[in-house]
Amino acid sequence: MKEWNQIMDTADIEAKVVQFIATKVENLDASTINRSSKFEDLGLDSMDTIQLLFDAEDTFGINFDSEEAKGFTSVGDIVSYIEKNQVPTTEG
Amino acid sequence: MRIVVTGMGIVSPIGIGVDQFWTAAVNGVSGIRTITGFDPSSQRSQVAGEIPGFDPASFLTAKYIDQTDRFTQLALLAAKLALEDAGGLDTYAPQRVAISIGSGMGGFGTFESSATRKFRNQPIPPFTVPRTMANAAAAWIAIKHRFKGVNLTCSTACSSGANAIGMALDLLRTGRADAVIAGGAEGCVLPLTMTSFEVLHALTTGSNADPARASRPFAKGRDGFAMAEGAGMLILEREDQAQLRGAKMYACLAGYGQACDATHIVMPDMEGQITAMRTAVLDAGMNIDSIDHINAHATSTPLGDIVETRAIKNLFGTRAGDIAVNATKSMIGHSIGASAAMGSIATIMALHTGTIHPTINLDEADPECDLDYIPNRAQQRNPRNGLCNAFGFGGNNASIIFTTLE
Repeated sequence: MKEWNQIMDTADIEAKVVQFIATKVENLDASTINRSSKFEDLGLDSMDTIQLLFDAEDTFGINFDSEEAKGFTSVGDIVSYIEKNQVPTTEG
Repeated sequence: MRIVVTGMGIVSPIGIGVDQFWTAAVNGVSGIRTITGFDPSSQRSQVAGEIPGFDPASFLTAKYIDQTDRFTQLALLAAKLALEDAGGLDTYAPQRVAISIGSGMGGFGTFESSATRKFRNQPIPPFTVPRTMANAAAAWIAIKHRFKGVNLTCSTACSSGANAIGMALDLLRTGRADAVIAGGAEGCVLPLTMTSFEVLHALTTGSNADPARASRPFAKGRDGFAMAEGAGMLILEREDQAQLRGAKMYACLAGYGQACDATHIVMPDMEGQITAMRTAVLDAGMNIDSIDHINAHATSTPLGDIVETRAIKNLFGTRAGDIAVNATKSMIGHSIGASAAMGSIATIMALHTGTIHPTINLDEADPECDLDYIPNRAQQRNPRNGLCNAFGFGGNNASIIFTTLE
């Protein structure tokens, strides 16, 4: 998977996270997902959420603190964490 | 009570779907090419039977793809094709439809990629275990089609697919299921897996520049098998129930024989092979003289093809030379746990159409391989009773018998 080598802005991060979520649930309309959407309301089960965090780690080159990640309930929780923790990488 | 084949699905290096596969097989088309799935330049064996144009996104959602290894994706497509061919199994209660799948390596592609990531301190996919486990294919076929009956996976290396079909026969005979999706799947054209076979000197290494000639069972100078991937699935039912639902029928699954060499973990032994074939014939309630076609295990290894030839000659005596023996692997390579499922489909098509597909790349046979292998050109032989062999590491020998419907 491609590694991001520059800091992304909030809108880009959010768009990417929404794109990942849309692949996890069948017939989910990505345009209805926003920062305040709750995983539960979107139909994501606990394994979907774990896969979502993996997708994000892989894409943004970050590591979620597992204790903190357990408390994530919404799209905004993930986006905020990535914003705070993303670092530029030199990997291509 | 007879058990019949009412549907077939195949994903092979020479075609997806039975029509494509069979047309290519009868015409002697090789599916062995230079590996494209990874950079093979550091491998000694750089050729394999991969599935050209296989696109899981064409029949699976992104979520399925995330959660499944390639071997499961191949199995899901073969099962879908088989079910379509059989006209669906909606007349059965979901609890009465069983699944019996063979795979030698399971989700080894996931294992290799996750191991690589772990050793680089990268996160690994959360579905690493459910993608890697050998019973993932059987489980996902059940989930996809909501079949809630017996769900089994057999992992006996290269004979996995044959044993899975044999186990399906037992399930139907004992009344544990009314219909079974049975077959094998393998997705093992992978760097570590291939290197592991290379170090055993099992793979062909001398035909990297001429891939189509790499797999040449029974031929003089053959130098090992060509690795392959793929899946084959059969829909099996009791004949009376298949008739009741108006299903078309290709052939009967008449017998299953199994025997272990109990000698060496990888070297084949003639006695075990003979016992498996003889037991299958007895299980089918047939006379040994009625077998007129053998779809051989014939992987193209120097030793294996000789031992199988000797086993056939020993069991069938003076009649051995009259039997049409062919090697599907000459065209599609060796897909380990899927190979006998694909060989079974070739056997069934031989009975159904009367045509025996050729063993290709057989210009000059090894002097120790002296049976009628249907070299290079298909023959119309109208066989009635076909035996499909599968011999695996672990000294695991399985033979299954298909017969025409008459």
